[in-house]
Amino acid sequence: MKVALFDYGAGNLHSLGKALERGGAAVEVTSNWDRALGADALVLPGVGAFSAAAEALPADRTRVREALESGLPCLGICLGMQLFFDGSDEGEGVGIGLIPGRVRKLDAPVVPHMGWNDVHGAADPLFAGLGGGLAGYYAHSYNCDPDDKSVVIGWTEYAGARIAAAVRYRRSWGVQFHPEKSSRAGLRLVANFLEEVKP
Amino acid sequence: MSLHPRVVVCLDVRDGRVVKGTRFDGLRDVGDPVKLAARYEAEGADEIVYLDISASKEGRGTLLDLVRRTAEVLFVPLTVGGGVREAADIGPLLRAGADKISVNTAAVSDPSLLTEGARRFGSQCIVISVDAARSPASPGFARGPGWRAFTHGGSVPTGLDAVEWAAEAVRRGAGEVLLTSIDRDGVRGGYDVELTRAVAERVPVPVVASGGAGEAIHLRDAFVDGMASAALVAGILHDGLTTVGALKAALTGWGIDVRRTTAGVAA
Repeated sequence: MKVALFDYGAGNLHSLGKALERGGAAVEVTSNWDRALGADALVLPGVGAFSAAAEALPADRTRVREALESGLPCLGICLGMQLFFDGSDEGEGVGIGLIPGRVRKLDAPVVPHMGWNDVHGAADPLFAGLGGGLAGYYAHSYNCDPDDKSVVIGWTEYAGARIAAAVRYRRSWGVQFHPEKSSRAGLRLVANFLEEVKP
Repeated sequence: MSLHPRVVVCLDVRDGRVVKGTRFDGLRDVGDPVKLAARYEAEGADEIVYLDISASKEGRGTLLDLVRRTAEVLFVPLTVGGGVREAADIGPLLRAGADKISVNTAAVSDPSLLTEGARRFGSQCIVISVDAARSPASPGFARGPGWRAFTHGGSVPTGLDAVEWAAEAVRRGAGEVLLTSIDRDGVRGGYDVELTRAVAERVPVPVVASGGAGEAIHLRDAFVDGMASAALVAGILHDGLTTVGALKAALTGWGIDVRRTTAGVAA
């Protein structure tokens, strides 16, 4: 299965690329949207800031949104998940607009939310074999606030509040934590995504 | 439930190899960082730190290659310290596969490096490394005895109050404080819990306690009394005195909610 790993030009894709390869994917790192949308699945990694990544989106957002809505499987990680939404408190720029809602600054005494935290997963293939969740590695200062909470398939508690750890809309999954940094459990989650979406 | 207190394993690397011994002389080659890092992940380490002590330019080039090779087999976060002299060094390390970079000397010389790094890459990947030693009261420090910050591997005093400098560095963009007690480093008698707490109470970002780990109870003290988000361990692991698994088992027994890696995948 050919998986496009989108490169916003911001940072480290090595671990994520290897995690996908371990799950059986043939990974192509690309900054070209024709190639990204032509793969069997698209992965939006979690590196950099919202504005810079939003700039890397095609001027015509509907192109990406329609591809995802019509069934191109996608896994968005951290910032990649945030790009599913309309906009972010972090800075200017317009996201893909796949899921109505906004990315908001975390309201907590200690920000960034950095380290390992428990993800309580719903019954979704993404969490197969993980016993209802996992300890995920987080490193973020903003989190997703979907208008319709029913898209949330995983929650994490932080500073007395619940944050959306994972969302799903059709064949697109977003996770706020970094599965590629969440050791064996994270690798399993990546493999689960690939297993679920393989042609 | 909230964040799991982290057990962080630090490897000193020079010219692409793990070394052990006194920082500047008597270094012994003890192995391949990539293999050791992967082994510590398997044992349950929550994060790996490479502290590069290469003196030469060639050694620093080796660091990028090492980080690249590590990122391909390591699936827990990797922090790299010692390789950043200026802002331009940050990008290549992150692109090579570091999740965070830590800076000490370069940030003291030019604090705007923290702001620039955070703006371009996000606070979550900029760690301020503070090497602190206790100092007697002196004029200008009305709060009495405190800690002073040092650079160049603990050899050069800055005159800065360590707690205030940590707070300043965080204001400027650092998203985490790696706090090493020079007095305790290598002594294995426990972290400087007072120092750790003083900084943790002062900054709104996670604090990693470092310097002094001798046994599991020291990590407990750093988490509970020092309010540390993470505790760094090095020598006692490399010398084979204990394992990450044994440390975590003891911590779990004391009710510390560390991430567990046994019994399936869910913690």
